[in-house]
Amino acid sequence: MTDYLPDRLLWFVLASTGLIVLPHAWHVPLPLFGFFLLPLGWRCVGIGRPDCLPGKWLLFALTVAGLALLFSQQRGVFGRDAGTGLFVVSLGLKLLEIRGRRDVYVIVFLSFIVAATQFLYEESILMAGYIALVCVLGLATLITLNSRTPRTGAALWSAGRLIAQAVPAALVLFVLFPRLEAPRWSWLQDTDRARSGLSNKLEPGAIAELSLSGDLVFRVKFAGELPPAHLRYWRGPIYAFTDGVVWQQLPYAGRGETDPAFDTTRIYDYTLLMEPQNQHWVYALDLPYRYPPELRRNGLYQLLADNNPGERAEYRLVSVPNYRTGDLDDSGRRENLQLPGKPAPRIQALVERLRDGDADPERFITRLLGYFREQNFRYTLTPPTMPVKPIEAFLFDQRAGFCSHYATAFVYVLRAAGIPARVVGGYQGGQFNSVGGFLEVRQADAHAWAEVWLAERGWVRFDPTAAIAPERIERGVDIDLQVASGAVNFRTSNFDPTALSWLQRGAQLWSNVDYQWQRWVINYDNASQREFLSALGIQDWLTLAYWLFASLAGIGGLLAWRLLKPLRRRRDPVADLYRRFVARLVKAGLMAKPGYGPSELADQLRRLRPDLAEPAGRIAETFNRLYFEETGEDVDLSDLKRLIDALR
Amino acid sequence: MSLKLSERFRLSRFIRGEAPSGDAIELNHRRIFIIPNRRGLLFVGLIGVLLLIGYVYGNNLCYLLGFLLAGVFFVTILHTYLALAGLVVRAGRQAPVFAGQPAAYAFTLEPGRRPRPNLELSLRSRLTVELPAEQSRTVTLFETAALRGRRQPGTLTVSSSYPLGIFRAWSPLRFDSPLLVYPKPAEPGAPFPEQAGGDGRAGYRARGGDEFNGLRAYQLGDTLRQIDWKTYAKGQGVHSKQYGGNTAAELWLDLQAASGHHLEERLSLLCRWVVDAEHAGLRYGLVLPNLRLAPDRGTQHYRRCLEALAVFGV
Repeated sequence: MTDYLPDRLLWFVLASTGLIVLPHAWHVPLPLFGFFLLPLGWRCVGIGRPDCLPGKWLLFALTVAGLALLFSQQRGVFGRDAGTGLFVVSLGLKLLEIRGRRDVYVIVFLSFIVAATQFLYEESILMAGYIALVCVLGLATLITLNSRTPRTGAALWSAGRLIAQAVPAALVLFVLFPRLEAPRWSWLQDTDRARSGLSNKLEPGAIAELSLSGDLVFRVKFAGELPPAHLRYWRGPIYAFTDGVVWQQLPYAGRGETDPAFDTTRIYDYTLLMEPQNQHWVYALDLPYRYPPELRRNGLYQLLADNNPGERAEYRLVSVPNYRTGDLDDSGRRENLQLPGKPAPRIQALVERLRDGDADPERFITRLLGYFREQNFRYTLTPPTMPVKPIEAFLFDQRAGFCSHYATAFVYVLRAAGIPARVVGGYQGGQFNSVGGFLEVRQADAHAWAEVWLAERGWVRFDPTAAIAPERIERGVDIDLQVASGAVNFRTSNFDPTALSWLQRGAQLWSNVDYQWQRWVINYDNASQREFLSALGIQDWLTLAYWLFASLAGIGGLLAWRLLKPLRRRRDPVADLYRRFVARLVKAGLMAKPGYGPSELADQLRRLRPDLAEPAGRIAETFNRLYFEETGEDVDLSDLKRLIDALR
Repeated sequence: MSLKLSERFRLSRFIRGEAPSGDAIELNHRRIFIIPNRRGLLFVGLIGVLLLIGYVYGNNLCYLLGFLLAGVFFVTILHTYLALAGLVVRAGRQAPVFAGQPAAYAFTLEPGRRPRPNLELSLRSRLTVELPAEQSRTVTLFETAALRGRRQPGTLTVSSSYPLGIFRAWSPLRFDSPLLVYPKPAEPGAPFPEQAGGDGRAGYRARGGDEFNGLRAYQLGDTLRQIDWKTYAKGQGVHSKQYGGNTAAELWLDLQAASGHHLEERLSLLCRWVVDAEHAGLRYGLVLPNLRLAPDRGTQHYRRCLEALAVFGV
């Protein structure tokens, strides 16, 4: 079956499929993408020269080649990458075989599926907008196919209108359509791509790399007041074991520790929206006090999520800045005093000098921080490399580094002095988005600090970086400048909305839109749906179904009223009145059939009922004036009505 | 004209349409029916696939795309309805035909304010038209007329699947606009009746100025009977005999004079005679058991005779 398909339609088809597949250039292996481009280009040439399109056998050979390519690239057809590849390749092959209207439908429907697979790779608001625009093109293709003399602009306009009118129903369905948790079928999962973030090990330089990344880690919206900058420590991994170079997190550390005693006079209640990561850590404000049941807090007061960390997740948390942790048992003391052998003589000498015959840990810490401050230490993101004995090299030779250098050296010296201490990794600070009222924490906010166990207070946070670069803590880093130049830059002032340039305000506005998009669209899952629905008073399936149908019917009714209005306006009161008049005459047997003009009618009446001749003439005259000359007034209309009603 | 409840649910409304109307019909919610076609079902399948992808990967944007297309599906119902709604269709003046010839039924379409991008009309034949807004158009649909008599056009189905082709809206319309089908004329060459039947008069005789008036050169339209064979035999060319007055021969065509096995065959022969007589420029009269048309000639008389033959006994 070969239908005639105009060239314009073929261009529509090629443009919409090309644009739908285009963003896949970043996800699909290059050979597969090339295999899509080949038929696309071939088909474009084929519009002008249909004789160069492939025949049946060549097409078959191409199909076999495509399948072979697919298997060599993906080893299968299941899973996100392989499935996407399959659809892209078959879409390309189908382009070479457009013979009838049916094929156009197959291509358009296939391209909608390819559009959906884009969302498996990127869920940004921009991608959604892009796909919506390309969907307009797809529908315009179908409209062109279903019109006799298609006009490009008119088809695009109608398609856009269709989509716009579909939006309300789509939103209602989106909110109310039951979300079910899908089983995690392993054959559908792809291996997680490498994501940046804190790791299990702390090596010099690791955080410096993060500091050059502006990637978002999480966003926090506080229910009450915002914690001051010096309290914004987001707790991550605890590095307690060291070989002198690398610091590591112990999987079994902190078993013996007890629940801290929280001073709940000051609490922070907040919602944490985590971006996908490759660890199970949830970066709670120090220390997490209340947390949802799907999280657990280990003995290191770290929050861990059991579910797939590769997905965006939202948690409602409560943290308390003032707390007292319990005693340290022997194994805990040993873990947090661990050193790789005897400290170097230079370090021992430093410890002796700082101790100054005084065994009190707090005074020792004060003197150590004073040492950092007074001995010409400086804060830099690009210190010289210290591959051997990094602690010694940092403390005595280079005296330049960033948070992880300070934290590890600090803990090392304390342990050498017999004070239990450990390195804590996480994020510090965050940029306040004044539009959305939330904190954005980025990879560049990655930080390392120390915790020291003191007999009366339990674990206490000390940040040696603050001693050398207090601006790092008080003001936070200027991430954009830091990422751009590779050097650390602190924000010139604390948050001050009037100091923001329009560019920054625009950026904040945009990141607020993105935040709401992530929270309400991307992250709207089973749990948040249940929460939202119960807020509406929808508890069971029956009520949900009722709401779903009622709101869809409401939208449909409104839309129908809107669309059908121009039809109703065609009704003309004058014509209606006249029709009523004629129907009455027919009923009375004065006329054979409807469809007479007013003057003919008047003539007929004059003949059959001379007594009615006068009013009939006036009816005809009034009607003609109202209907044909369109000069009539409302007075005439009521006149006509009176005349007709008077007629018996 | 409102319908009773039982009429509203009569299945035949969906296929054959309502009782024939003599007036123009405006397509409205009562007459327009909509159903998703095969492509519409495929579209529903597509929505299902999108929702499935959304479900398996827990991807809200896939869901959203699926819901958006579901919204498009719902909206398209309205738009497909609008493709037909408000269209006014009236039957035109139908030209009579002989049985066995294609009958042309004319209909006038008034699109109203809305352009009609893709209207499909089907009677027995199909036709696809596009109407710009406010521009009426008359279309003709052909149907082979098999039997003589007054034939109603049958059910005219106006349909459209604009805009997306996933729904079909259709409206079956029946019009009281008969088309006259004359009997099928018998094979040409059948001789006129020499001998009249019925009242015993000669089928072919002179009347009025019936004496021979002379000869003139043969003209197209003169019958064989008028040819003066004698002059022709003498080799003086073909001449027609002219009779007195301004009338030529007068012919009575009687059903009883027509031979045939059954009525249709005889009517068919009679029809042939009428056609030939008119073409020959003769004055002819028609005699049927219930009707007698005095001899005359001209289009009006010709039509009257053929109409009488068409409706005889039906």
